[in-house]
Amino acid sequence: MDDKSKKQINNRYEQELNKGEFFWPDSIFKDVIVSLGIFVLVLLLATFVGVAPEPKADPSDSTYIPRPEWYFLFLFKFLALYGQIPLLGKIEWLATVLIPGIAIGILTLLPLIEKSPQRHYSKRALPLSIMAIMLVGIVLLTLTSEVPTVSEDGSTLLGLLQALAGLAIPGAGMIVLLLMSYVFKSSARLMAWTAGLVALSMILISGTVLAFAPERAAEDTEVATTIVDQIFAGQDLYSIHCVECHGDDGKVEVIEGVEGLEGEKITPINSRDVLYTVTDSAMVEVIAYGRPNAGMPPFGKAYGAELSKSEIDYIVVFMRYMWDDRFEVPQEALKPLFPPLAKGEVPSYDVHIQPIVKRYCVSCHRAGKENNNYLMTSYEEILTTGDNVDYNIIAGDEASYFLQVIQETPIMNPEKPDEELIGVMPPSRALKPNVVGALVRWIMNGMPRTAEQAAGLFVPPAPEATPTP
Amino acid sequence: MSDSKELSRRDFIKVTTGIVGGAIGLALGLPSISYLIDPALREGGKEAWIPIGRLENMEIGKPYQFSFTRVQVNGWERTSSSFGGYALRNSEDPNDLLILNSRCTHLACTVNWSEQAGAYLCPCHDAKFSPTGEVLDGPPPRPLDSFAEHRLTEDGVIEIFFKAG
Amino acid sequence: MWKKVYEWMDERLGLNEIYTSLLDRPEPKGNWWNTLGSASLFLFLLQGLTGIFLTVYYTPSPDHAYDSIQYIMEGVAYGWLIRGIHHWGATLMVIVVFVHMLRVFVTASFKYPRELTWLIGIGLLLATLGMGFTGYLLPWNQRAYWATTVGTQIAGTVPFIGEFILKALRGGPDLSALTLQRFFSAHIWMLPAVLAGFIGVHLYLIIRHGESHWPKRED
Repeated sequence: MDDKSKKQINNRYEQELNKGEFFWPDSIFKDVIVSLGIFVLVLLLATFVGVAPEPKADPSDSTYIPRPEWYFLFLFKFLALYGQIPLLGKIEWLATVLIPGIAIGILTLLPLIEKSPQRHYSKRALPLSIMAIMLVGIVLLTLTSEVPTVSEDGSTLLGLLQALAGLAIPGAGMIVLLLMSYVFKSSARLMAWTAGLVALSMILISGTVLAFAPERAAEDTEVATTIVDQIFAGQDLYSIHCVECHGDDGKVEVIEGVEGLEGEKITPINSRDVLYTVTDSAMVEVIAYGRPNAGMPPFGKAYGAELSKSEIDYIVVFMRYMWDDRFEVPQEALKPLFPPLAKGEVPSYDVHIQPIVKRYCVSCHRAGKENNNYLMTSYEEILTTGDNVDYNIIAGDEASYFLQVIQETPIMNPEKPDEELIGVMPPSRALKPNVVGALVRWIMNGMPRTAEQAAGLFVPPAPEATPTP
Repeated sequence: MSDSKELSRRDFIKVTTGIVGGAIGLALGLPSISYLIDPALREGGKEAWIPIGRLENMEIGKPYQFSFTRVQVNGWERTSSSFGGYALRNSEDPNDLLILNSRCTHLACTVNWSEQAGAYLCPCHDAKFSPTGEVLDGPPPRPLDSFAEHRLTEDGVIEIFFKAG
Repeated sequence: MWKKVYEWMDERLGLNEIYTSLLDRPEPKGNWWNTLGSASLFLFLLQGLTGIFLTVYYTPSPDHAYDSIQYIMEGVAYGWLIRGIHHWGATLMVIVVFVHMLRVFVTASFKYPRELTWLIGIGLLLATLGMGFTGYLLPWNQRAYWATTVGTQIAGTVPFIGEFILKALRGGPDLSALTLQRFFSAHIWMLPAVLAGFIGVHLYLIIRHGESHWPKRED
């Protein structure tokens, strides 16, 4: 830039200063107002949206779908789309290094590239058009980042459209704009229209993609944040995975009723011998890897089973707080399994039966276990599954198989009277009387599902006969 | 600046800027202070009845050593700390019992019963306590602490009332 | 009394000079878009303050990072607020810094005599993104772990030296305690130092050249 235009610029700036304002207090006032607005916004977001809890990092859980922080999503999506390009898509570093590198390089060296002293937008059609396309592209890539490039039915149409809107059109648009500027010397107006058209077509295509994108089920992973929540989460997991062999209180010394492990002697896991000598991390490993030689299967995802690292941690927390006498259980963690039933009150599945079933039954009565095909993970399953479904739960019938076996009366096989068709349940230990009572009342009163349905069946206890004077 | 008593635009802006700045400072500062000093305001551990041993194992007139462990949650870390002491029966009466904390009252080292000396000796600064916990020698400012509340359960186990903190 | 104290201080600190050169400057008529720079600075200070408070409880180790943040969220008074501000402040800072860059681009304020201001500004933008990237790993949760695994893997695709960059970023071939520790160090020491230094130069340049005026048709 020659001295003349420099001087021109400086003079021009002097002019503006003369009819300007003062940094303090005029500018700072505006700055402070904007900062206050931002601060209030941050406070509102922190208070009412908060930070979503996430499970602990688990390197063994390869099923997790990684997502970067939202402001890197456009890059993430760009890479995914780029990978679709035949041949070129295989040369990954072009997209991961070269293209972002060129973009950042151009941005950094911008003052050296765009050397003209002109500042008004009407004289800067090319840079503004290219930036507009880039910006629209970044926003659209971010918005469509969750849309898969290959649909579940194998169609690549969505992927093609995305590649069109995210790569082809903006790329072509920029080349056309460069040509217009340097080769055809087009007018600024024409270039602005071109850029607008490119942006519009990108928005329309991406909008279509978003409209037809398969809805992704929001995966909500439950994260227990407080100790009490962790104890409950651990208890639920323990009930499902561990109760079968170790019993609901960890006391079992000889396994009963478990296929293949019948009569196996084990150390009670609620004993001091175990709790005082096995550290948390050792316990986590035992649960994750199991003790295959001693008959305990693995439970951790690291060894091909179901439980994540966080879930195993919850089980350990549960064992510590409930069984280890060096720990003080928070009062809230000691609430009863289900609210006690008043006289004449009918239990409902939602409030009373579900927690019972979860604690004592689901461990075996779920898919993949030896259980006469009787599953108990939902209301429907409890009523409609099992080899003996016709006799199992009959409303108001005390002879229901279900009620007999939980009251220590095995069902004999009608064809071979000395063979048990169904043994007593649960096999290892009888249920507590209040639990049996709740189950009996539930079936005798027609298995209501919700609390409202149960309330409708409430039979007020007959008023005691008042002796007439 | 204008001489009139009315607030000039300039002054108004200055005052507003100051107020807004102060408000942001307060909105951030007060919770921050609370955040920083929070652990100091927490209550210590909960109280509990701790079994220390069977009554029949404690000889009359001879200190019976016991120890127990409590787990405290400090932040996200579970710290197990050990405590110990000596129970001294004075007579057949199961309630006639002196239960001393073996933590030296000087600088919290653990004292040991020495049969030879007939006293509790502290290994750190050579303090000496009588079987009943009185200071015989050395720097401690006061006698050994005792667990005043104790009880005998149905199974013949002595339990002490313990409150950490 | 106060006047005397002020005069004594002024004699030694040169408060009046600072006032005239720093605050009492004439400027072109401002526009609300001109506040984005100071808004970025405000967010930087807010992030710095809440970040410092977070380190009071946060522990950068794979064994404790997650639990210590859990404790900040549930166990400490207003911990949720401090972390919430830091979390959302980061998001807003990226937006504000980016929009600030766009504003400067659109008004062509990067041109003579403010080329260096722009250059430093790009450094600030990249450092801000770096803060986002390194800070994302620190909670050591599933999102953080896997996002960083992929993110560092991308750096590993650089031809010839990719493997080396990957190992340098992670402090080894795998994401480990070393990765967490060096990301923590970068997040609380190196990048903030770079940011603070750049901000200083950026501000000096702004004061030296004055804020650019909103371009008119004749510019």
